[in-house]
Amino acid sequence: MTQIMQARAMCKSYGPVRVLENVDFELDEGEAHVVIGPNGAGKTTLFRCLSGETRIDSGTITLSGSDVTALEGWQRVKSGIGRSFQVARIFGGMSAFENLIIAIETRERNKNGLRFSLRHLAPRKAVLEEAERLIGELGLEHTSDDAAENLSHGDKKRLELAMSLALKPKLLMLDEPTAGMSPSDRAEAVRLISQVRDTYGLTLLLTEHDMEVVFGLATRLTVLHQGVIIASGQPEEVRADSRVREVYLGQH
Amino acid sequence: MIDYRARFRINLAIALCGLAVFAIVPFVANSGLVFLAGLVAINIVFGLCWNFLFSGAGLLSFGHAMFFAAGAYGMAVVSLRMPELPFFLGLAFGSACGALIAMIFGYIALRRASGVYFAVLTLAFSELIHIYITKTTFLGRNDGLVGIPRPTIDLGPWVLDLTSATSYYYFIIVAMTIAAFALWCFQNSPAGRLIQAIRQDPLRTAFLGAGIRGWQLTAFVVSGTIAAFCGAVMVPFTQIASPEIAVWTVSTQPILFTLLGGAGHFWGPAVGAILFGAIAYGTRAMQGLSDITVSVLLLTVVLLIPGGLLGLWQRRRRKAGGRQPGQAGDDARPGTAAGKVEARQ
Amino acid sequence: MYDVGMTVFNGLAWAMATFLVAAGLTLIFGILHILNFAHGGFFMIGAYVSYTVMIALGGALPLWLYLIGAMVAGVVVGLLGWAVDMLVFRRLRDVDDAYSLIATYALLLLCGGVVQLIWGLNYLGVMPPPVLNSVIFLGDMFMPTYTIFIILCGVLVYVGLELFIAKSQTGRLIRVVAADPWMAQLLGLNVKRIYLFTVILSFALAGLAGGLLMPNQSLSPELGGIFLLQAFGVIILGGMGSIRGAFLAAIVLGLIESFGVYFFPQYPGIFFLLALAIILLIKPEGIMGREQTA
Repeated sequence: MTQIMQARAMCKSYGPVRVLENVDFELDEGEAHVVIGPNGAGKTTLFRCLSGETRIDSGTITLSGSDVTALEGWQRVKSGIGRSFQVARIFGGMSAFENLIIAIETRERNKNGLRFSLRHLAPRKAVLEEAERLIGELGLEHTSDDAAENLSHGDKKRLELAMSLALKPKLLMLDEPTAGMSPSDRAEAVRLISQVRDTYGLTLLLTEHDMEVVFGLATRLTVLHQGVIIASGQPEEVRADSRVREVYLGQH
Repeated sequence: MIDYRARFRINLAIALCGLAVFAIVPFVANSGLVFLAGLVAINIVFGLCWNFLFSGAGLLSFGHAMFFAAGAYGMAVVSLRMPELPFFLGLAFGSACGALIAMIFGYIALRRASGVYFAVLTLAFSELIHIYITKTTFLGRNDGLVGIPRPTIDLGPWVLDLTSATSYYYFIIVAMTIAAFALWCFQNSPAGRLIQAIRQDPLRTAFLGAGIRGWQLTAFVVSGTIAAFCGAVMVPFTQIASPEIAVWTVSTQPILFTLLGGAGHFWGPAVGAILFGAIAYGTRAMQGLSDITVSVLLLTVVLLIPGGLLGLWQRRRRKAGGRQPGQAGDDARPGTAAGKVEARQ
Repeated sequence: MYDVGMTVFNGLAWAMATFLVAAGLTLIFGILHILNFAHGGFFMIGAYVSYTVMIALGGALPLWLYLIGAMVAGVVVGLLGWAVDMLVFRRLRDVDDAYSLIATYALLLLCGGVVQLIWGLNYLGVMPPPVLNSVIFLGDMFMPTYTIFIILCGVLVYVGLELFIAKSQTGRLIRVVAADPWMAQLLGLNVKRIYLFTVILSFALAGLAGGLLMPNQSLSPELGGIFLLQAFGVIILGGMGSIRGAFLAAIVLGLIESFGVYFFPQYPGIFFLLALAIILLIKPEGIMGREQTA
């Protein structure tokens, strides 16, 4: 199995607080890798460092074999990452449709260069069709012309997922995709995420709190505790690991 | 779904209507008013390009006078010191001066500063340019450069004589219509959409794979170039480039136009500039009265009707006739009109 | 040696004159998080009011009457501050930064208009009191007494403000509100009243500064803008809201400006702007450290 992402000896501190200490992390192509850990374990920081939202203090990160440690987030996106945020980030003043158009156009610009011409001020036909297809696929038809800031919590999360999919990434990074959802919405979200994973053949990297979501999605689990990885492997192995039971599952 | 074609046609029609109205002015008004109308036409585009930066990219500039002055002095230098060069080269040179300044200062200011810091840095840069002009003999120091000729343009078989104020006035309104519409096209192109997206959420846009600072700089340079173009077009009309057009109060003019007219709407600054011209004309006899009128109006707008006049009008219309479909992109959104421009670190 | 001494002296003069204006500006910014463009305008009104008082009392005045003129200016402008807080600042709480910046600019414009309407466009001026209109020789340095007086005033205002904020009951309340208005509200403090007090104090300082600096200026409706830019530079460099920072920044910028002018006398007014831009690029949060998101 080939590795899509590999991090070696990552360290990150905020001021005097050491959040990640000497973390090694790898991500195999095609897996659904979930990072769990108690609050304050450094999940979100790990996520930020891997996606490029913040720089690591030392260590290296490679993406499909090339070193991206020094690259900013938007440059890493170009080599095939899509990501979501804990609180869905969308363009609140625009409709869901316009949100998607921007995502698709940005991808096209990065791939082939989107030339400026008077004839193509409006989005091209292919872009419009793709946006409509994504809207249908993620069940956002009913949002039509509403400004995205007025959408429901679940719709915002779905829209953000749709924007990430529009980038046609190889690797999709989701930061707590079901945060703040009701149990029934969670089940629906899990179904949707596994569905897009199958249709697009994606590699997934998630952080998650909810155990049902974790075991519903994960093909591999990594447990982070106080900035250190204490276990990583098949969900069943990790579940059986005594240290993990002690620091994490024991609390539930 | 948004009808992009209809949007294009409507805005082209608005631009052409504006052109038509301004074209009638010389037939119905005296030369003083024609002069004022010419300045208003220039102010409209000056306001539009500032608002492109403010509402389009979420950057608050308090230094647009530096671009305006750069364009004006660029044009003045070419036509006085190198009279053999064609007129259009002067315009191009003036605009290029603005673009260059925008590139240098924008690169510096956008590196670390945002929000209020950005505003004050642009103010400081603009003041630097102002002082530089007043101390440089080549640029005429405090007296400015005077006696700038209006051109005659040789177009092969035709010769366009723009030496009279009225004929140059026509040149102005055509040039400004083109500039305004070009700006509209840029704002509604894929690049303009992306810049708009950056204003709404920079981090999200970055994780779509777009370099934020590069695009913000692009917006700054586009806005600066058009402001410089306005300055360059104005100079042969007034026939003087004086340091007064580089003073920081000039930078605040487009802010007034935009806020009065409505920041959330592309043509807001145009409404504001015309209103501002009317107020200045109506109160010209009384010292200080025009400042008082404008400031009270401005305070009213900021405190009570943040959408400006066009925002007010649109709200009225919506109340009367229900929501207009397909206008989502043109709506005034007071709450988000400025974006949250503070540092997002 | 003579040159260095004189240059430092000039730098301090620039610094303290600017600090007098910046003190009130940084106070409002620290508490209300409003960058108040109108400060320059009310400074100017203070100068005009004190001018009017002095002319009414007969022109060339003894020192104490000149000081009373400045005090009157402080009180008048402080009262204006009360009105401004009630009518404008109070409504800017939920408004976007950019919009509140523009609202205060509208106030500045209003000040300019009112001054033109009442006092006209002509340059006005008045001589400093005779005591302050002489020169002291120190070695071969000559120092105008008026300039020495302004430097003293700057230091006095700084020390006074520091003591007030650090020691007094009201000062403590102001610090609490500046740190966390939400928490202060929760603790039952009357936040509105503390805001109001801050605004009045800030405006009174602007009026006082106008009155004190007036004899050195020719009064014109443009006066507001001139000091405002310098004061902006000072409070931004000082770390937005920090009085000590503003004091230090004023001295740093004043010295840079005066040494710059000493070496390149043809470009006055350019060096503090250059220094400001360069320092902000290296250290965008200002010289007093803490990152402020207003």
